[in-house]
Amino acid sequence: MGKTISINPVTRLEGHGKIEIFLNDQGDVEDAYFQVTELRGFERFCLGRPAEEMPRIVPNICGVCPTPHNMASTKALDKLYGVEPTITAKLIRQLQYNAFYVEDHFIHFFFLASPDFVVGPDADPAERNILGVVQKVGLEIAGKVIEVRKRCRDILRLLGSKAPHPEGGLPGGVSRGITEEERVTIKETADYAVEFAKFALQLFKSVVVSNPAYLDLVLNDAYNLNTYYMGMVDEDKNVSFYDGSIRVVNPEGKERALFDPQYYADHIAEWVEPWTYIRLTYLKVLGWQGLKEGYGSSLYRVGPLARLNASKGMATPEAQAAYEEMYATLGMKPAHNTLAFHWARLIEALQAAEDMQRIAGDPLLTSKDIRNMNLRLTKKGIGCVEAARGTLIHHYETDDKGLINKVNLIVATQHNAAPICLSVKKAAKGFVHGGEPKEGLLNMVEMAFRAYDPCLGCATHTLPGKMPLEIVLRDRDGNVVDRISRGE
Amino acid sequence: MREGRGLPSLAAAPFSGEKVFPTNAMAPQRILVLGLGNTILGDDGVGISIVREIRKTWKGRPSVEVVEASLGGMVLLDLIAGFDKVIVIDAIMTDDQNPAGFLYELALGDLGDVVRPYASHALDLQTTVELGKRLGHKMPAAVKIYAIKIEENTIFREGLTPPIEEVVSRLARRVIGEIEPI
Repeated sequence: MGKTISINPVTRLEGHGKIEIFLNDQGDVEDAYFQVTELRGFERFCLGRPAEEMPRIVPNICGVCPTPHNMASTKALDKLYGVEPTITAKLIRQLQYNAFYVEDHFIHFFFLASPDFVVGPDADPAERNILGVVQKVGLEIAGKVIEVRKRCRDILRLLGSKAPHPEGGLPGGVSRGITEEERVTIKETADYAVEFAKFALQLFKSVVVSNPAYLDLVLNDAYNLNTYYMGMVDEDKNVSFYDGSIRVVNPEGKERALFDPQYYADHIAEWVEPWTYIRLTYLKVLGWQGLKEGYGSSLYRVGPLARLNASKGMATPEAQAAYEEMYATLGMKPAHNTLAFHWARLIEALQAAEDMQRIAGDPLLTSKDIRNMNLRLTKKGIGCVEAARGTLIHHYETDDKGLINKVNLIVATQHNAAPICLSVKKAAKGFVHGGEPKEGLLNMVEMAFRAYDPCLGCATHTLPGKMPLEIVLRDRDGNVVDRISRGE
Repeated sequence: MREGRGLPSLAAAPFSGEKVFPTNAMAPQRILVLGLGNTILGDDGVGISIVREIRKTWKGRPSVEVVEASLGGMVLLDLIAGFDKVIVIDAIMTDDQNPAGFLYELALGDLGDVVRPYASHALDLQTTVELGKRLGHKMPAAVKIYAIKIEENTIFREGLTPPIEEVVSRLARRVIGEIEPI
């Protein structure tokens, strides 16, 4: 007889996010699906509103990653109003964006990923959390994590009026400039962030890479998924977060597409499946091929490892060195090791910190030329950034008065939703046998899911933190026959 | 895991921006009234409506901050660190028989054990308080949570439904009564 197992690791009494794992009569895994409850009416909510309200509204889609939504929205307004931001405005936006990246990536690594590696993947769940990490690494290091994110958040507050929700966004520029005094402080924060990012990478190497058991886990086939990869690149095809072209590579790393985000709809298509409210994305030219990996698939991944796979390198020297070291260890590029998303995340944090240093040293940063007011309504605007979790696209269209009549958002968790299903299925197949998964083994399955840090709020356009994840195992007839619930 | 030798020096440097962690130890008891929610998801925004009502009808005093936030996760640490007492006002969905608008008065312990979030977004309030304590931040000795039962938070819209709207001024008055000096 099959098994149904539920993992509900958060305490709010709602049921939005769910992974369904189907077992056969032998209790082995046959299939897995990642599902999210629908939230309705975002497009209708936006219709008829002045387009310039959008950067104020969209941060409310996600209480954790509001900055990428705000930035994609603001860039969409640049296009909608046919205006190019000034050089200084771009520098300030990039500074804001890098500060967000540093902060967000470190939170993910230390709060979400490190419990599995620092405390241990099969440790008691009561200890396998950030408090357990603090216990292990000591208060000094934990305090530095808090300090670096506080400083980055101070920059976000400085530039966006408040943190974490930026207030508004102006086509053609930014609402405030940077003083010389602020520049000095920003430079201090950038230096601190670079040193901390190097420290975090050193920690990752000493804890994970140097530990044969953990490295085996990273390289384990259960955490391997052979897909295409998508990410934004600069003109040298190096990793870029704020602006650039979208590059897609195939599972062997060959360039499959390189396009201006304005033409995203020529390359990315959305697919509706009856078992999920997330519109799954796929490479349009290849057509929908279903949930499968490898060459016959049209699925691609986004996010930290995907960005590194889709690029020729990092844009900053220290990050480039770390990038080379990672691929040398993993043995191939593209690397298909889902757990290496964590490693890539730290390398990206280092690039973001180094780029903050560059910007802080740019004499144009403190220029007063922060806005281009040469606005011209084009009635269509597409803004694209790399959100921490992957490519984020905002597409708005308006009438002659600039009132919204079309909205389309494509978020990271949409791109990754189908691969998440496959990753969970592979991990479940690798670790769940005979229908009797133990707590530690279920955590191994969850690790495949957590590597993506999927944002259920973004995917369905609501605030996160209120969307518990549930894992359900069903027998071949779909019956729920057992439940194991963490957090109860 | 211990901090190894040769790690980069990370000496703290002052920052000129706004202080994230208030540290005025000599001040009178500092109270935070924190309204959480999302005002574009209908009744989910009730916590924010209530703190707006408090700000509108109460003259305030320096030791009390009335704050609204649409966020989750680690950011809560920034908001609540440094306060002696925190009153959180938020919407909640439950599977009991209580009607919409029912008011639950909860303590941190009522929210369940410290558990592992599924994503970095989901760091809960209790873990946040515990984490802050362990990191040596001054964390509130008392946290009271007013949770208003709502029935729907999956449709984008502004404004509250009548049974939830009815709670706003009543709970605002009650909270004002709690934060007024005796």
